[in-house]
Amino acid sequence: MKGRYDEENLKWIAPLIILVIVLPFLLRGATFSYRYYLYVLNIAGIYTILTVGLDLLSGYTGLISLGHAGFLAIGAYTSAVLVDQAGVPFGLSLIVSPLITGLFGILVGFPALRISGMYLGLTTMGFGFIVRRLIIALRTWTEGSAGLEVSKPVLFGFTFANDWHNYFLIYLFVIVVVVFARRVMKSKIGRALMAIRDSEHAAQAVGINLVRYKLFAFFLSAVLAGLAGVLFAHTMRFISTDHFDILLSIYFLIMVLVGGVATIYGAVLGTLFIVLLDFLAIPLFKDWLASFMAVQVADIQSLIFGCIMFLFIIFQPMGLYGMWLKMRIYWKLFPFNPKIKQT
Amino acid sequence: MADLVIENLEVHFSGVVALDGVSLNVREGEVFSLVGPNGSGKTTLFNCISGFVTPLGGTIDYGDLDLLSKPPHSIIATGISRTFQNLQNIPYMTVLDNVLLGNHSRIGNRETVRRWISRRQRELEEERALEVLDFIGLANYEQKYLSGQPYCIQKLVEITRALVSQPKLILIDEPAAGMNDQETMEIAKIIGEIRDYLGITVLVVEHDMSLVMAVSDRVCVFDSGNVITIGEPAEVKAHPEVISAFLGESVVA
Amino acid sequence: MKLRKPVTLILLITFFLACAGREPTPGVTDTEILIGNIQDLSGPMKELGMALPHGSNLYFNYINDKGGVHGRQIRMTMEDHQYNPQKAVAAAKKLIEQDQVFCLYQIIGTSPCEAIRPMLEENGIPLVAPATQSGTMSDRSKTGWKYIFHTDTGYDKQANILVDYAYELNASAKVGVIYQDDDYGENVLEGIAEAEARHGVTIQKEAFQRGATDFAGQVMNLNKGGATHVIIGGIVREPIIVMKTAAAMGYAPQFLGISPTMDHRVALGSGEAGEGFIAANFAQLYNSDTEGAELYRELFEKSGTDPKVMGMYNFYGFITAMVLVEGLERAGKRLTRDGLIKALEGVKGYDGKGVFRGITYGPNDRAGTEAVVLVENRGGTQRIISDWIE
Repeated sequence: MKGRYDEENLKWIAPLIILVIVLPFLLRGATFSYRYYLYVLNIAGIYTILTVGLDLLSGYTGLISLGHAGFLAIGAYTSAVLVDQAGVPFGLSLIVSPLITGLFGILVGFPALRISGMYLGLTTMGFGFIVRRLIIALRTWTEGSAGLEVSKPVLFGFTFANDWHNYFLIYLFVIVVVVFARRVMKSKIGRALMAIRDSEHAAQAVGINLVRYKLFAFFLSAVLAGLAGVLFAHTMRFISTDHFDILLSIYFLIMVLVGGVATIYGAVLGTLFIVLLDFLAIPLFKDWLASFMAVQVADIQSLIFGCIMFLFIIFQPMGLYGMWLKMRIYWKLFPFNPKIKQT
Repeated sequence: MADLVIENLEVHFSGVVALDGVSLNVREGEVFSLVGPNGSGKTTLFNCISGFVTPLGGTIDYGDLDLLSKPPHSIIATGISRTFQNLQNIPYMTVLDNVLLGNHSRIGNRETVRRWISRRQRELEEERALEVLDFIGLANYEQKYLSGQPYCIQKLVEITRALVSQPKLILIDEPAAGMNDQETMEIAKIIGEIRDYLGITVLVVEHDMSLVMAVSDRVCVFDSGNVITIGEPAEVKAHPEVISAFLGESVVA
Repeated sequence: MKLRKPVTLILLITFFLACAGREPTPGVTDTEILIGNIQDLSGPMKELGMALPHGSNLYFNYINDKGGVHGRQIRMTMEDHQYNPQKAVAAAKKLIEQDQVFCLYQIIGTSPCEAIRPMLEENGIPLVAPATQSGTMSDRSKTGWKYIFHTDTGYDKQANILVDYAYELNASAKVGVIYQDDDYGENVLEGIAEAEARHGVTIQKEAFQRGATDFAGQVMNLNKGGATHVIIGGIVREPIIVMKTAAAMGYAPQFLGISPTMDHRVALGSGEAGEGFIAANFAQLYNSDTEGAELYRELFEKSGTDPKVMGMYNFYGFITAMVLVEGLERAGKRLTRDGLIKALEGVKGYDGKGVFRGITYGPNDRAGTEAVVLVENRGGTQRIISDWIE
C-alpha cells in the first residue's frame, strides 16, 4: 500500500514541534525585547486556534463566517466571568467555556441551514454586532464597555505569570488543535464537510445529514474560537469590546484565505503571516514611508491586507500552503521536472 | 424479495407534468434500463427514489420499505445508492477520499474516533475502498486529486463511490454520456460485472442505445412522463410506438 | 538540559554587551530622558493623535531649549495603536523592552490604557497623564493603579457637577442625559447615578451608538420626557447634530456638555442652535489670559505650525507635558522610576502657570484635579463663565 498523506505529514510535525519549543530560547538569546516578540507570537498562536476552526467552517464546509470575533468574545467573557466571578477553576473553564461558545455556534448555525454565501456572511456579521451589544447590556458581569480585567491562568497550582509561560500554554493548545483538526478532517467528518461544500446532493446520496453536519461544523468552529477566547482573556488579562471589532472577523477570514483554504496548515501559515505582518512589518514600513513622505498614512493596514488578499486570490488561490506544496514537489523532482504541473 | 415497486408516480413542476402516473417494477438481480428523450422524466424518477423530489402522488416501495417517507440522507441505509447525471464529485479530494466518502453511512461514531487514533483502523478502511477501486480498474488513481482528471475517470469514481457502501440496488444516471465508443463498452462491461459478481441490482438511465441493448435484462421506454412500454431489449426494439416516437426515422429508413 | 548551557551563555554574553555603559535606570542617560507615547496615528482618532503630541513637544522643546531637566533633554518616541487595545499592549512592550523608555506618557484612549495595566505593574513603569478623562483611570481597586497618574477630572465627576449646575440654574429643572454607549458613556452614567442618589431624582437617559449620525429618536424622547436641561456626552460631531436636531424640532432646553464637547469646532459648527451651549473643562482655555496659555500661544506661533492645529487638544498636550516636567524636576538629578512616582506623589496644588485648579497627588491619590470651569458658547466664540467648581 502506498503511504497516505497523514502518515507523511507526521515526518514534518516532529521538527516543527521542536522548533516551537526552541524558538523562545532562540529569541531570548538573540534579543533583549524577546518578550515583545513572544507577545506577538502568543497573539498569533491564539488566533491560529481560532482560524483553524474558521477553516473547518468556511474552508472545508464552505459556510462563510464574518462573526468569529463574536465567538472569540463569548469564549473570553464567559471564562472571565466564570473564573473571576463564579470561582470556577481555570482548568475547568478551559473545557466549559468553549462548550458554551459551541452552543452559540449551533444557534448561529440554524440560519446557515437555509442561506449561504454572502447572505450567510451578513448574518454572521450581524451576530458579531449582537455579541458586542450583549456584552454592553450585561454590564453586571461584563462591566459594559469599560472592559474587564482577567486573572492569570492557573493550572494544577501553577500560575502562568508572564509571556514566557503563556507561550508554552498557548502553543501546547495550538499543536493539539492542529493535529486534532488535521486528523478529524482526514476522517469521515472532514470528507462529509467537504462534500457538503462541493455537492449537497452527493452528500445526501451517501447518507450525510446536512442539518446535523452543518450544525456540527458551526459547533466545532465555535468551540475552537471559544478555546481561543479563554486563552485570550487570561493571557492578555484585559478584554473589552474594542478587542473584538468587526474588522477582526474580516482579518480572520483573510488569514484563512491567504494561507490556503481547507488544509488546516494553511490557516496556521496564514495567521502567522498576517499577524507578523500586522505587528512587525507594517509598523516598520509605516516608519519608512513616514520618513520621506513626512505624513502618517492612515489605515494602511487595510490597504495592504486588501492588496495581499487580491493578489493571492488572483495569482495563488491555493494560498501559502499551496505554494509550499508546489515548492516541495519541485525540489523532490529536481532536476527532472522543472515545469510544475498543477496537482 | 427486495423489488423496487413504483406505482402511479405523479410529479409536476410548476404546472409542467414531469411524471404522469408512472408504474414500474424493478426485480432483484436484474439490470433495468430507462430510456427516453431529454425531459421525459427519467432523472426525475431517480430523484424521487433518492428523496430529492417529493411526488404529488403515488408510492415507491423497496421490499417492504416506503421510500417516500424517508429524507434523502436515509435512502442509502435502505441499500440504494446512486450516481448523478452531472458529475457530483469533490474535486479537491483524492480519488481514494472520494471513494471513502461513499462509505459514510457505514462508519459509526465510535469507529470514527477509533480511526483518529489507530493507524491500523485507517488502513483497514482504505483496504476495502482500494478493493473496489481495483474492481472498477482505477487502482493507480487512488492518490490523484480528482480535479483535472478526465471525465471518464471522474464518472468511474462516482460509480465506485456508489458501490463502496455495498448497496443492494444502484441507480446509475447516464454513465456513457460524453464518452467514446471504447469507453462506453468499458462501462457496459462494468455494469455487467456489478450485477454478476457483486449481485447488485442495477437501474440505469441511458441515451446510448448500444449500451442499453448490450447490458439490459429489461428496458423501459419513457416519453413525456409516460411509460410507453416495458420489456426485453428485443421486444422493445420492435415496438412500433417506440420506433416512431423515440428511435426515430433513422431506424425505419 | 544540554541545551540550557549554550543558551545561557549566549544570554549572558549579550546581556553584558548590552549592559556595558548603560546606566541602571532605563531610558535615562546623562544627557537625555526617553519617554514613550502611544497615540492613535492611523485609527479612528488620528486627528487627536497628531494634535496631542505636537502640543506636548512644544513644551518639551521649550524646556530643552532652556537646558532641559537637570541637564537632560526630554525626547519623546511614538508608537501607533490605532485605538486597538491589543496593539497598545504590543506597542507598550516594544517601548519598554526594545526602546527602553524611562516612562510612558499620554497614551490615548481608555481601553488601550486599561489594557496595559498589567504591564505597568510587571515593569514598575509609570504612566503619566493618560489622555482619557475616564474616572476609572484613578480607580485604586484596579491592577497597576499605583503607576497611573491621571491629570484630568473624570467624566463621572464632570457629569455630577453638571447636574448640580443645572439645579443651581433652575431649582425645578428636569435633567436629561444623552450618552455614547461605550466606556466613555459608562463613566458618565456612573456620575449621573451618583447625582441621582444625592438629589433624589431620576434622570432621563438616552443612549446612542459610537459613530452615530442620527439622533432624532433620542432628542424626540427627551422632548417628550420634558427635559429642560440636557447633558451631552458626545465628542464633536454628536453635540452639533443633537443641538441642530433639537432646534429643528423647536425644542430648546439648556444644553450642557462633558469636556470633549468643549472643542471650539462645536462652537463653530453648531451655529445658531449652539448659542448658549455650556461645556465643562478641567483646565483654562488655550485662548485665556493665564500665563500658561500665553506661553502656549507664543511658542505655537514661533513653531510656525499650521494655525488650524491650535486648539483645545493641542493645548491639552501642552499642559499635561507641564505636569510630567514638574514631576521630573522634583525627582531630582538621580532619576529612577520609583523616584518619579515618589516625586509625583509629592505634587500638591500644582497650577501649571494658572491653567489648573491644582493638580494634587498623594500616596493614595492618583486623581490629579477634580475641578472644572464652565465654558459658554456665544456667537461662535467660547468664554469662561464660572470659577472653579468642585
